[in-house]
Amino acid sequence: MFKQLFLFELKLWFKKPSTYIFFLVFFGLSMLITAAMAGLLGTSTADSMAIINSASAIAGIINSLNTDIIGAIILITIIAPAVYKDFQYNMHPLLFTKPISKSGYLFGRFTASFLVAMFVLSGTIFGHMAACVLPGIESEKLGTFSLMNYIQPFLLFAVPNTLLVGAIFFSLVTFSRNMIAGYVGCIALILIKGIASSLLGDMDNQTIAAMLEPFGEQAMDKLTKYWSPAEQNTLLIPFEGVLLYNRLLWLGIAGAITLYTYFRFRFSQFNEPVSLFRRKNKKEMLSIASAPVNSLADVPKATQNFTRKFSFYQTYFLAKFEFNKIVKSIFFLIIIGLSILSFAAVSSQLGLIYGTSTYPVTYQMLQIGGGIFQFFMIILIVFYAGIVVWRERDSKIDELIGVAPLAPWVSFASKLIALVLIQVALLFVIMLTGIFIQMYNGYYNIEILQYIKELFGFKLISLSLICAFAMAVQVIINNKYVGYFIAVLILILLPIAFTLLEWNNQLFLFNSGGPRLPYSDMNGYGHSIYPFIIFKTYWLGFVIILVVLSNLLWVRGKEKGFKNRLRIAKSQFTGNAKLALSLGVLIFLSTGIFIYYNTSILNKNISSKKTEEMQADFEKKHKRYSKNPQPRITSVNWSVDIFPEERGAKMKGYYILNNKTNKAIDSVFINLYPEVNVSELKLSVANTLLLDDKDNGFRIYKLSTSLHPGDSIRLDMNLDYFPKGFKNSSAGTAIVYNGTFFNNMFLPSIGYSENGELTDGSARKKYGLGKKERMADVNDSQARMNNYISSDADWINFECTLSTSTDQIAIAPGYLQKEWQQDNRRYFHYKMDCPILNFYAFLSARYEVKHDKWNNIAIEVYYHKGHEYNLDKMINGVKKSLDYYTKNFSPYQHKQVRIIEFPRYATFAQSFPNTIPFSEGIGFIAKVDTANPESIDYPFYVTAHEVAHQWWAHQVIGGNVQGSTIMSETMSQYSALMVMEKEFGKKAMKKFLKYEMSQYLKGRASEGKKERPLMLVENQQYIHYNKGSIVMYALRDYIGEDTLNAALAKYIKKVAYQEPPYTNSIEFLNYITAATPDSLKYIITDMFATITLYENKTSKCSYTKTKDGKYLVKVSIESKKMKADSIGKLKDIVVNDWIDIGIFGSEQVNGKKEETELYLQKRMINKEKMEFEIIVNEEPEKVGIDPYNKLIDRTPDNNTRSLKGGNKESAAANEGGGGVTIEVK
Amino acid sequence: MKLIINNLSKTYSNGLKALDNISMEIGSGMFGLLGPNGAGKSSLMRTIATLQEPDSGTVTLGDIDVIKQKAEVRKVLGYLPQDFGFYPKVSAADMLDHFAILKGIDSAKERKEICDALLNQTNLYEARKRNIGDYSGGMRQRFGIAQALLGNPKLVIVDEPTAGLDPMERNRFHNLLSEIGEHIIVILSTHIVEDVRNLCSNMVIMNQGRILLSGKPAQTISDMNGKVWMKLIDKEQLSEHKTNYKVISTKVVEGKIQVHVFHPTQPDSSFTPVTSDLEDVYFATITN
Repeated sequence: MFKQLFLFELKLWFKKPSTYIFFLVFFGLSMLITAAMAGLLGTSTADSMAIINSASAIAGIINSLNTDIIGAIILITIIAPAVYKDFQYNMHPLLFTKPISKSGYLFGRFTASFLVAMFVLSGTIFGHMAACVLPGIESEKLGTFSLMNYIQPFLLFAVPNTLLVGAIFFSLVTFSRNMIAGYVGCIALILIKGIASSLLGDMDNQTIAAMLEPFGEQAMDKLTKYWSPAEQNTLLIPFEGVLLYNRLLWLGIAGAITLYTYFRFRFSQFNEPVSLFRRKNKKEMLSIASAPVNSLADVPKATQNFTRKFSFYQTYFLAKFEFNKIVKSIFFLIIIGLSILSFAAVSSQLGLIYGTSTYPVTYQMLQIGGGIFQFFMIILIVFYAGIVVWRERDSKIDELIGVAPLAPWVSFASKLIALVLIQVALLFVIMLTGIFIQMYNGYYNIEILQYIKELFGFKLISLSLICAFAMAVQVIINNKYVGYFIAVLILILLPIAFTLLEWNNQLFLFNSGGPRLPYSDMNGYGHSIYPFIIFKTYWLGFVIILVVLSNLLWVRGKEKGFKNRLRIAKSQFTGNAKLALSLGVLIFLSTGIFIYYNTSILNKNISSKKTEEMQADFEKKHKRYSKNPQPRITSVNWSVDIFPEERGAKMKGYYILNNKTNKAIDSVFINLYPEVNVSELKLSVANTLLLDDKDNGFRIYKLSTSLHPGDSIRLDMNLDYFPKGFKNSSAGTAIVYNGTFFNNMFLPSIGYSENGELTDGSARKKYGLGKKERMADVNDSQARMNNYISSDADWINFECTLSTSTDQIAIAPGYLQKEWQQDNRRYFHYKMDCPILNFYAFLSARYEVKHDKWNNIAIEVYYHKGHEYNLDKMINGVKKSLDYYTKNFSPYQHKQVRIIEFPRYATFAQSFPNTIPFSEGIGFIAKVDTANPESIDYPFYVTAHEVAHQWWAHQVIGGNVQGSTIMSETMSQYSALMVMEKEFGKKAMKKFLKYEMSQYLKGRASEGKKERPLMLVENQQYIHYNKGSIVMYALRDYIGEDTLNAALAKYIKKVAYQEPPYTNSIEFLNYITAATPDSLKYIITDMFATITLYENKTSKCSYTKTKDGKYLVKVSIESKKMKADSIGKLKDIVVNDWIDIGIFGSEQVNGKKEETELYLQKRMINKEKMEFEIIVNEEPEKVGIDPYNKLIDRTPDNNTRSLKGGNKESAAANEGGGGVTIEVK
Repeated sequence: MKLIINNLSKTYSNGLKALDNISMEIGSGMFGLLGPNGAGKSSLMRTIATLQEPDSGTVTLGDIDVIKQKAEVRKVLGYLPQDFGFYPKVSAADMLDHFAILKGIDSAKERKEICDALLNQTNLYEARKRNIGDYSGGMRQRFGIAQALLGNPKLVIVDEPTAGLDPMERNRFHNLLSEIGEHIIVILSTHIVEDVRNLCSNMVIMNQGRILLSGKPAQTISDMNGKVWMKLIDKEQLSEHKTNYKVISTKVVEGKIQVHVFHPTQPDSSFTPVTSDLEDVYFATITN
């Protein structure tokens, strides 16, 4: 029975062309993605050491294709209707009366459709294989072919996920007899997936997220995220731990659902679908047979109204009818419920940074709510567009409605309005949920106006256009499912293709909104509203054309065939229709031309590939000048007029250039920022302009008489920058209405600058450029003639006059000399009293200022009104930092510390001399949980880090070579760690370091070129920040804080404010090595000179109570030490290290259980397996090796183990064989 | 007012010729359109009801060109298609009000009066709050006629209204139809001969897209009188009779086969004369 039904179903599927089309969809997408990864699509590339045909790469592709929306929709189409179709086509009375068995029927159908789904999904694998044999793939991108690399991920993910998804869809649709239930199930799964990944904002949730996520992606990520490129390329997916449990859990759920379906299913009682609300008195019969027939004469005469006014009423009435039909469906309510739930779930993980969330400010709520709803709103629109367009035909009422004397536009208009009203309703749900979440969190600064602007302005406009588009597609295509496919193709797949293929011209991307800025409390929506309106008008024109066409082609009656519809359309194409169509075309064309004028004529629309070309061109043309001696900037004086309303600035000023070389200089090279307009560039000596490369912004001035060593000239500049129109995609955030922040990158620099060169290896190969090292060798004496901040200056004198609108404050490095108003503008004159690096910035905004003082140092925070939350924490951070750094390192060189808020277009803080711009996104709205000692106060941390830069960068600056960022970034991290530990205690550091460890390990996993040891770091953030933190914290632990700080102070004293050649990491390490005792010198090599990893583990532990009331702890540990090469290949080396062994108990503090340290000591570990016996005074709960994770270890969780009860008294305390017993007094 | 159809032709994209040069004139009163399934009745109805366009030919209703002035036709049209459904979960009263609005009846009060009257008229008033989805076949057809009568239709088209109804319901429906005024055009399309005989003053018989016969039912019957003969035969004799005579219908009666043949005179003595009825006319026409 099973066999016949199964084979019949299978044959049926393999006769359908759709089966092969679905297969080809997966085949094609997989091939396309693989080809893009292999760099075959001619798009710009980034370096990567990962190959494309490793098990983990293939797993990535399988997962991304199978569990995304396309995969889900195809799976629904195949599996969900396996039983439902018998009801849909009224086959069930015929079928269920045949002598078939329930199991044969259900499992036959399910197995067959499952196998078809497997066949379709296997397209992913074959597509990948096909892409791998395409010509032109670079050999290093392709590993040796291994079938297991395909089979294993397919078995681990595709098979169980399809079973799960299939079981859910099959069961939902079989019971509800409604395909919508399947779609709801699909949305629910995708939402669970989203919630699971949002949980990852807090590292403590990793395991929960890995279990909760139904498709096993998070679980795999948890197991493989720390894999080095070498491991990614060679290993299979480990089927163990959380991945194993995840698969078992969800397979179990799938099995349970299948069994439930099996037992609940009945042939007989299954003529009615399962309904959530049973209708009452359904079959009440009325005695009407005998009722008399009345006379027609009783029917009053009707007055009919065919005016336009009544047509509007009819439109309103029908719109209301459609709206109610949708809104009152149970599935719609379920979807809303699910979305609200996930909104609430995700919002609890609000903008986590180091596990600390932000206040639920309105833009955060909108971002989360919008993000969650956005996706399924588009799906919902596409879906309901099909429903409303087909409603009459699906209910077979089309002929009745078709003959009604309705104006031809009423049907389409009313349905469109209903669809738009549904969006309004959903947007209201977002708004109310958002407000509720804000209030629930005790946050009452609810910006209703912003909700309205964002939701009923931006969002509603976009969604309405999508509604009209999706309906037009349904009408014009006139086949519901093909219509769905085309709408999804254009609304969801096209944007993905645009990204993959780097087509960025927004004129061709339906419903594009022009360059967008994220909302900022400081700058609102800024200048992105205007292009948004233009772009939406453009699409409105497009949609009007489609809507007019759909109205003409609207199927009213029984007309079949496009030809006939066209004929009818022609006859209706009169007066108003013509007018509307011309209007649409006019709007579409005129705004299109206007957009083109703005994005491609006023501005250049440059693709990333084009950028690569220009970079290559620049290098080819001008690289030969790189060795020419150039004068260096010694003084800078600017007078900058900022015009926030016009988003422009006039910059007038001069550099003093000095020939510091011992050769005469005959020409000066000047780099210009291409978008800055140069009205004057004048050297103070006679010269001729030899070359003016406008594309790349590079000029060569030949001096009539050479500039002799030691001599100076003056370069006078008169520049301005005013943006013209709007660009295709980038909004430009340097100068904005409120929150201007730009640095001297905008301004002319001297000499050939290597910064503009292409760095990506395969791109360089493509353009015929030689290999380029990421950074010069640590010993490169030529490169050390520049510091890594600037290649055209050492220490400069700085002075500037800024002007801005009267309501804003303008800020630059230096001290305010004078402030005045003139010609309705506000002027500020700043002057620095000591030489600084050639690194400065200009800021301007409507600021509030908070003043404070530390000793004689003035502290000022310039902030946006309303962002007062963490000002005290920042000021405290400044004070504590100044305290620690002046005491341990050297005096502070300035008389003032200023923190200045800027809009969240970037999320960093940056340290300029006495000036610290600080993004509103990383601290001003942080909600630090002061009650929880483990919660990380990152406003304090960021402040401490940036203040440390006043020493580490602005006093000590390394040469432009490998390793130099240790002396700035790593040391700022270390300094901040010390200040934090003093402030918050040792426990607070644990969580922080956990994040640092994770960031480092993840960073090295996605390294594209070479992982470097810390001392040779090539500006790799995961090394100089994250690894730096761990290494320095451990180093401090090994050699002691005072010793370390003394060495650092000595080093600062030696190199601070030095002239070239600049210091390097070797010199820096020499100071540290000198301070390290010989027995520990190996740690300097392990930590700085090589990449060292440990695999420490506590394998066994127990304790017994001794006679004297103490506790004897026995612990077995394992320790493995490895060195990694630059791609992450590991080599075991002998352990011979001092490593912490720790034992922990607990005590009650204010009613809470807190961990206490019972024992912590460095022990010599010189065998892979060792045992220790340690006596402690209090009851131990946890024991382990390196319990504070000071050493780099990819599985830090198994370092410690919880001890369980051995409460029996031990007879002999010293029985422990070869172990060592130590008593803690 | 007259409905005049001239040289109407329609061929579907699959090659099926649904209407083949049809011309006729229909005046006030009940007009029967009789024909077997697939004769082209529904195509003709839909063309008149503005739901479909012919390839060639004209249809005029009084001054209205039905094919060009669809909107004008719809204002005076009541239509009950052969196969129709309703929105699920909508009550009869709401549905009728819905149609009333579509028909342009703007006053809510008037709508209520008319709908109530029509529901009474069709005997559905008691059941007006029930979902139409729960209605029996007869109730649905009655509701169908109620919606067709909304507004002041001057042309009412009912397509196969009694198919599948039990005799009681059919009777009730006939009563309803016969009530519809004498002064408007009512076109009743059916394959049930009895419907036409009971209700229509004029009729045509259609098959394969063509009009085979037109006239008043009584007249056509009397034209046939004396030309239809009946005989009881065995099964084996059927083919022989079919080749020798013009058999217009066969029926099984008590194990034997009763054949009606068309013959101007008595073929032989084994045939007995039959008082012809419309059924004989119908069968004679379509087997011709």
